[in-house]
Amino acid sequence: MITLYDYELSGNCYKIRLLLSILGIKYHSHTVEFYPAAEHKAPWFRQINPLGQLPVLQDDDYTLCDSQAIMVYLASRYDSGNSWYPRDDPQRLGSVSRWLAFADSITNSASSARLVEGFFYDFDAVACRAEAHRLFRILDEHLWFNAKSGHHWIVTGDSPTIADIACFPYIMLSEEGSISRQDYPAIRRWSDHVKRIPGFTVMPGIFPAGPAQ
Amino acid sequence: MTEQTLKTLDRARAARQWHPVATSDDLRMRHVYHGQILGRELAVWRADDGHVNVWENRCLHRGVRLSIGINDGHELACQYHGWRYANRTAGCTYIPAHPADAPARTICNNTYPATERYGLVWTGEAPEGTAPDAPELQHAGNHLLVLRSLPVNAPLHLTAGHLADYTFYRSDHTRPATQVSTHLRRAGEFQVAVDWTDENGTSALVFFLQPTDNHRTSVHAVLATSKPPDNPLQRLKDHNFAMSLLRDRIEQAARQHPTPAAFTVASPRVSEALATLPKLAATGRKAPLRVVVKSIRDVATEIKAFELISVDTQLPTFQPGAHIDVHLANAQVRQYSLTNAPGQTDRYIIAVKREADGNGGSAFLHQSVRVGDTLAISLPRNNFPLRRDAVNTLLIAGGIGITPLLAMAQTLKSADHPFHLHYFVQDQSHAAFPQLLSTFGTHISMHTGLSPEQTRTTLANTLEGYKPASHVYLCGPAAMLSAARDLAYRMNWPDEAIHFEFFKNTTDVTTDQAFTVELARSGLTLTVESGQTLLHTLRTNGVELPSSCEQGACGTCRVGVLDGEPLHQDVYLSDAEHQRNDCLMTCVSRARSEKLVLDI
Ligand SMILES: N[C@@H](CCC(=O)N[C@@H](CS)C(=O)NCC(=O)O)C(=O)O
Repeated sequence: MITLYDYELSGNCYKIRLLLSILGIKYHSHTVEFYPAAEHKAPWFRQINPLGQLPVLQDDDYTLCDSQAIMVYLASRYDSGNSWYPRDDPQRLGSVSRWLAFADSITNSASSARLVEGFFYDFDAVACRAEAHRLFRILDEHLWFNAKSGHHWIVTGDSPTIADIACFPYIMLSEEGSISRQDYPAIRRWSDHVKRIPGFTVMPGIFPAGPAQ
Repeated sequence: MTEQTLKTLDRARAARQWHPVATSDDLRMRHVYHGQILGRELAVWRADDGHVNVWENRCLHRGVRLSIGINDGHELACQYHGWRYANRTAGCTYIPAHPADAPARTICNNTYPATERYGLVWTGEAPEGTAPDAPELQHAGNHLLVLRSLPVNAPLHLTAGHLADYTFYRSDHTRPATQVSTHLRRAGEFQVAVDWTDENGTSALVFFLQPTDNHRTSVHAVLATSKPPDNPLQRLKDHNFAMSLLRDRIEQAARQHPTPAAFTVASPRVSEALATLPKLAATGRKAPLRVVVKSIRDVATEIKAFELISVDTQLPTFQPGAHIDVHLANAQVRQYSLTNAPGQTDRYIIAVKREADGNGGSAFLHQSVRVGDTLAISLPRNNFPLRRDAVNTLLIAGGIGITPLLAMAQTLKSADHPFHLHYFVQDQSHAAFPQLLSTFGTHISMHTGLSPEQTRTTLANTLEGYKPASHVYLCGPAAMLSAARDLAYRMNWPDEAIHFEFFKNTTDVTTDQAFTVELARSGLTLTVESGQTLLHTLRTNGVELPSSCEQGACGTCRVGVLDGEPLHQDVYLSDAEHQRNDCLMTCVSRARSEKLVLDI
């Protein structure tokens, strides 16, 4: 039995819900009230994750925190097609890791700016936004050139990987931290593709795409 | 550059010019591009028919950005409350909060002209002439490569100044990158062109500057080479790298100056009253539109389709179920439903059946109207609106009654809403638009050559098992329509789930009795003489009312009744609506009571 320590408005938790839904895995969601109760700092939760961060996944008696790590685990264990975390292709696997790390940088910038505006956190919002824009420029350029060679996804190949899921939420929620995506057309086109992955689900602030042609 | 004060944009002048807003390649199918010109945000999208729409990036309802909306290939739907807008016209076609009503025609988003040139999409607030020329890109035999456009956080003039000394690094796999300096050919306000010669011949690079806002600029670039580029992807990368480095320098330079204030732009909003209460236009039976018959096709035995295009202006928005009045040269006025798919706003397509007992209208269209003729038509009017929130929709057509249901079926299909079309015809050769019908796949059942008895049984089977939030739309010959409607009532379909449209009123309409009407709002009391219609009496007394079929079938001339009992005589209202006695059709309805009080 899989339990996800979960908070609806968290983009990092949404990554996991998204992958679970795409892989068609049943799970139990245990809500941790991040705001305003700050339950993730409560002693009972810190016993589960000393970092006091969401999400955390429990699969029977195995416990894992960090959204990127959780996706690596879920895809390795439950994706029979072996496409979301391509273990057999060293180069693609290397690229997946690169973009998972990049996704965590997006959390530390775009998500932080959103926490300042929506959850009254005390970060330097100006610096967070500038850093998010720097990262978005890099990703937009990467996706533009990928698309020029006929690839829709962050990691070159015919199908999406957990790198796409990892980068998606806080990019799509960026406007809640006053980070416009107007200057990133390749990112916006890529997000249409992510939204059309079978099994895609939404969270508050993220909308579905229309039908492809 | 740093000492002098920066030149600023003359917004009023720039508003009269064409500006690039995206590359053509940016407008992928079913995508909505988020653009901006002179501070005004734009939603830019390509419909499935290729048409490029440049709209104000605001839903008229609550101002939500349309660039996060859904491009379904025909319409753009807002993500928040689902208001839908048609390709080309940006007219609102559907308001989910009022699923049973046709939105007022006046609900229309702002559109801006669009054109494509040199692989870029051009627009402007009120542009004059055509999109600007770039002579370097005009040479016959030149190969054009559209580079990756770069948004720059700097004012336009500052950006343009730096582009004049553009250099880049040419890489190939065998040698280290070599630096290439370029010569400035021309430096205009919105265009900078440079060129160079290397072992591949002469190349020119034209930069087009997009005035995104007072403090922001996008640089589009088109490369023209005399020979086809050997490795286009590498060329794109080389220039992208060089332009990115240059962008860093430009943005650094911009930080030395105070940032000019963003432009303030006004964008229109629709009033809540208009959004919630579609109001009828107070026009008589008028034909303000002139259309040209572009083609006439046989689409079934005895049925011809007429494709009508506008003489000068954009045709107005229509909704599925809408009809137009066609004014014929023999002084007749006939109603025809639009069969168009959603967003197909560049033409109207009507289908006309030649009636054996024809009263002249259909015969005239079949015999006398030719390709190239001009016809006078009314604005489209919708008295048969389609709900788009039904759990299931049944469309039941008999014969030429298929026409409004074709528009509905195409709408439901493109939105992926569950529906089924039942089409009753004499034989297969009488089924109109066979090609279009075949696109409905499993969503259509053809019923051919049934006897009246068999028709009844089939209708009964079809209507069996009403489920909540289902809706049925009926259109066809009077006998079949009445039978279907009565069956639906009998099978517990609620009144509001049964929608129908008769194309003519076959009941005997009397004009025998005179009666009195009191007009509550205008304060008039009038006598309708025997032999006169209420509509005629109202009009001769200066009361303007819209009308269309003038035989009690279309619902256009409906008005509210405050007191008195009408003698309805129409086929537009359902029995339940007749019994409520709260409205009537001024073209055929009279009074059972001595006097009626009308809400006009
Ligand atoms: N690298 C972690 C970051 C997780 C994270 O930042 N979680 C947020 C909620 S979305 C949190 O719990 N923040 C509270 C904190 O860091 O104290 C991951 O990807 O899971």
